[in-house]
Amino acid sequence: MDLIEWFSKMENTKPLALVIFFVTFVAIVLYVFTGKKRKARFESYKDIPFQDDERESKESEKGKHNG
Amino acid sequence: MMASGAVAVDTQYNYDIVKRFAIMALVWGVLGMTAGTYIAAELAFPFLNFDTAEITFGRLRPVHTTLVIFGFGGSALFATSYYIVQRTCQTRLYGDLLPKFTFWGWQLSVLIGAIGYMNGITQAREYAEFPWPVDLLITVTWVAYATVFVQTLRRRSQPHIYVANWFYMAFILATAILHIFNNLAVPVNLLSMHSYSLFSGVQDAMTQWWYGHNAVGFFLTAAFLGMMYYFVPKQAGRPIYSYRLSIVHFWALSFLYMWVGAHHLHWTALPDWTSSLAATFSILLLLPSWGGMINGIMTLSGAWDKLRTDPIMRFLIASLAFYGMSTFEGPMMSLKSVNALSHYTDWTVGHVHSGALGWVALVSFGSLYHMIPRLYDTKLYSDRLVITHFWLATIGIVLYITSMWVSGIGQGMMLRAFDDYGNLAYTFVETVSFMHLPLAARMVGGMFFVSGILVMSFNIFMTIRNAKLEQAAMEAKIAAKMANAGV
Amino acid sequence: MKFSHESIEINAGLMIVLTMIAISIGGLVEIVPLFYIDETIEKVEGVRPYTPLEQKGRDIYTREGCYLCHSQMIRPFRDEDMRYGHYSLAAESQYDHPFQWGSKRTGPDLARVGEKYSNQWHVQHLKAPRSVVPESIMPNYPWLLENDLDYSDIADRMRALKVTGVPYSLTTAEYQANVEKFGKETADQLNILEAEENLLAQAQSEDFDGDRARLTEMDALVAYLQVLGTMVDFSKYDEGYFAEFR
Repeated sequence: MDLIEWFSKMENTKPLALVIFFVTFVAIVLYVFTGKKRKARFESYKDIPFQDDERESKESEKGKHNG
Repeated sequence: MMASGAVAVDTQYNYDIVKRFAIMALVWGVLGMTAGTYIAAELAFPFLNFDTAEITFGRLRPVHTTLVIFGFGGSALFATSYYIVQRTCQTRLYGDLLPKFTFWGWQLSVLIGAIGYMNGITQAREYAEFPWPVDLLITVTWVAYATVFVQTLRRRSQPHIYVANWFYMAFILATAILHIFNNLAVPVNLLSMHSYSLFSGVQDAMTQWWYGHNAVGFFLTAAFLGMMYYFVPKQAGRPIYSYRLSIVHFWALSFLYMWVGAHHLHWTALPDWTSSLAATFSILLLLPSWGGMINGIMTLSGAWDKLRTDPIMRFLIASLAFYGMSTFEGPMMSLKSVNALSHYTDWTVGHVHSGALGWVALVSFGSLYHMIPRLYDTKLYSDRLVITHFWLATIGIVLYITSMWVSGIGQGMMLRAFDDYGNLAYTFVETVSFMHLPLAARMVGGMFFVSGILVMSFNIFMTIRNAKLEQAAMEAKIAAKMANAGV
Repeated sequence: MKFSHESIEINAGLMIVLTMIAISIGGLVEIVPLFYIDETIEKVEGVRPYTPLEQKGRDIYTREGCYLCHSQMIRPFRDEDMRYGHYSLAAESQYDHPFQWGSKRTGPDLARVGEKYSNQWHVQHLKAPRSVVPESIMPNYPWLLENDLDYSDIADRMRALKVTGVPYSLTTAEYQANVEKFGKETADQLNILEAEENLLAQAQSEDFDGDRARLTEMDALVAYLQVLGTMVDFSKYDEGYFAEFR
C-alpha cells in the first residue's frame, strides 16, 4: 500500500517514469543497434515477406513440369 | 497453369477466411461511412432527424463508430492478420472451425450492436457501447482469435517471427485487456440488455479513456502498423527500410501508448497529476510514431517513381503521411493549454478523422487492393478506378479536416471571448450558428470519401467476378483438353 | 539460458509475456491509485444517489445518446464559470454509473442545468428545440411525451446499482445508515423496497411533463435534468477548499 501511495505522488511519478522509460529504451536501442553480427541477423529478417513468393513460383514451376 | 497454381496455394494457405473478412470489411465500410455522412448531414440540417428515434444523431453516432471501427477496421484487421501470419510463417492457419467461429462471432457482434443502438440499447460508453451479452460474445470471439493467431505462429516454418506479427500480437493482447476491464458491469437482470458500469465518476472516466485512447493506440494504430510492415514492402517490392528500427518502434510504441489516455480528461475532476503524466507521455509518443512513419516511407527510397506509376503505393504512402500528420497533431492537442481550447470542439473530431480516414482507412484500402487480387489469383479489374478512388478519398479527407479546424478552433475562440466589459462575447448558440457552414462542408467531405469506397467496392466486385469467370473458363479448357487426350 | 532478444523473437510465449508487461505498466500506474487515494474525491455535503425517477431519467438520457453532444464536466476557466457555473467536482459524479462527462459540446454543458429552466421549458425544448432556440441543431424528441414510462424493472435497476456500490438500501440497517448519512427524506427515496411507490409519488407531486394524468418518459428525463448540479451548496465552501483536491 505504501508503495502504491509512493507511486501516486506527483513528485515521485515523474522521475520514476522517466527512469523506467529511459533505461528500457536505452537498453533496447543499445542492444538493437550494436554488434555487426546482430545487424546482419536483424536485417536479414526483412526479407521474410518475400520468401513465400519463391515458394509459390517454385510450385507453379513444378506445376508446369507436371502439367 | 494458373488454375493449378491457385489450387496449390489454396491448400497451402487458408484463403477462404481471409476472403470473407475482406469482403465484410468493405460491406461495413460502405454502411458505416454512409451512416457517418448521414449524421454529419443531421448536424448541418437537423430536420434530417425526421422525429424518428432510431435515426436521431444520438443513436446513429454509435452505429457509425461501431461499423467503421469494429466492422470495417476490425474485419480488415482479421483479414490481413490471417493473411500475413500465414504468409510470413509459411504455414496454414491453425484450425478450420475456429477461424470460422471468429468470423461469425465478430460479424454478429457488430450487427447486434448496431441494431441495438438504433433501438436504444447501449452502455453509453464511447466506442464501447455494446450491451453486456455482446461484450461476452466479443470476449469469446477474441479468445478464439488469439488462439488461432498464436497457434499459427507456433507452427511456423520460419524461425523468426516477422515484425508485422508482433504488432498484431500486441493489438490482440491489449484489446483483450482493455475490453475486459472497461466493460466490467452489473446487468440489471439476466433477461435485460441493460447494465451499469462497475466503476463510477472519476474512476469510470479514467477507465473509459484508458480504454478509449488505447482503442486508438492498439486497435487503430498498432494493428494497422502491422499491416503497414507487410504490405508496404510487398507492394514496393523492396524490404522495409530498417528492421532494427522496427524493433525499437515496436517496444517504444507498446510501452508508451498505455500511458496517454488521461489526456482526454485535462482540466476535469480527474487529479491533475494523472492528466499531466499522460500529456508527458503523449509528447514522447511522437518519437516512435514518427520512427515508424519514416521506416515505412523510406522503404520507397530509391524507388520514388512508384508513387507515379503504382496507384496502390499512393494509398499506402499517403496513409503514412496522414499518420505522421495526426501523430504530430495529437501530442500538440494533449498539451494542457492547447487542450483547453480544443477539447469538446470539432477540432478533436477532425483530428480523429485525419487518423481514421487518412491513416486507418487509406492503409486498409491499399492493403485490400494489394491482397484481394492475390487471394483470387487474378488482376485488379481497373487501375484507373484505383486512382479515381485515391483522389476522391484525398479530397474528402482534406475537406473534412480543414472544415473541422475552422469549426473547432472557431468555436473554441468564440466561447472564451470576452467583450470590453468582461462579459462573455457570445452565447453558446451563436457558436452553433457559426458552425453551420463548416459542418455542411464536412458533410460534403464525407460524401467524397463515401463515393471513393463505393468506387472501390465496384472495382473489387468486378475483380472477383472476373476471377470467377476466368477460373470457370480455365476449368472448361482443362476439361476439354482432358477429354481430347482421352480420345 | 542466456537472455537475448533473439529468444523473444523466436519464442511466441515469452514475447506475449513481455508485451503484456510493456502494455500494462501505464494503465496500472495511472488507474490503480485513483481507487486508493482519499484525495481523489472531495468531501462535500449534499451529494446523494439519484431517486428512482431520476435514475430512470438518467437511463433515458444514456439511451438517447445525449452524452454524445452534451458534456457534464465544467472546467475551471473563467468563461465556463460564467456560462455554466462552478467547475465540476469529482464528488458530484460519484454515483454516476456510467459517468457522463462527455467528450464533445455540440450543445452546451449540462452539469449544472438543473433548476436553470422551468419544467415547462424543458418539455417544450425536448419536444421541439427550435421552437425555443431557433438556431439549435438538436433533434426533436416528441416520443418522450408519447411513451409511457416503463418502470417495471426499477427495483432490479437499483439492486444492480447497489452491487456497484451505490448506497440504495434493502435491509433496515442499510436504511438506518442512509438516514444518518443523507437524512430521512433522502433515505426513504433510496429504499429499494419502496422504489415504485417513490417513483410514482415524485412524478405526481412535481408533475414534470405538465400532464398529471400520465407518467411519461418525459417526466423521468426532466426530473433527471432538474437535479443535475444542484446537490452541492457552493456557498458553504470557500474556493480554496476544493483546490486542495486537484
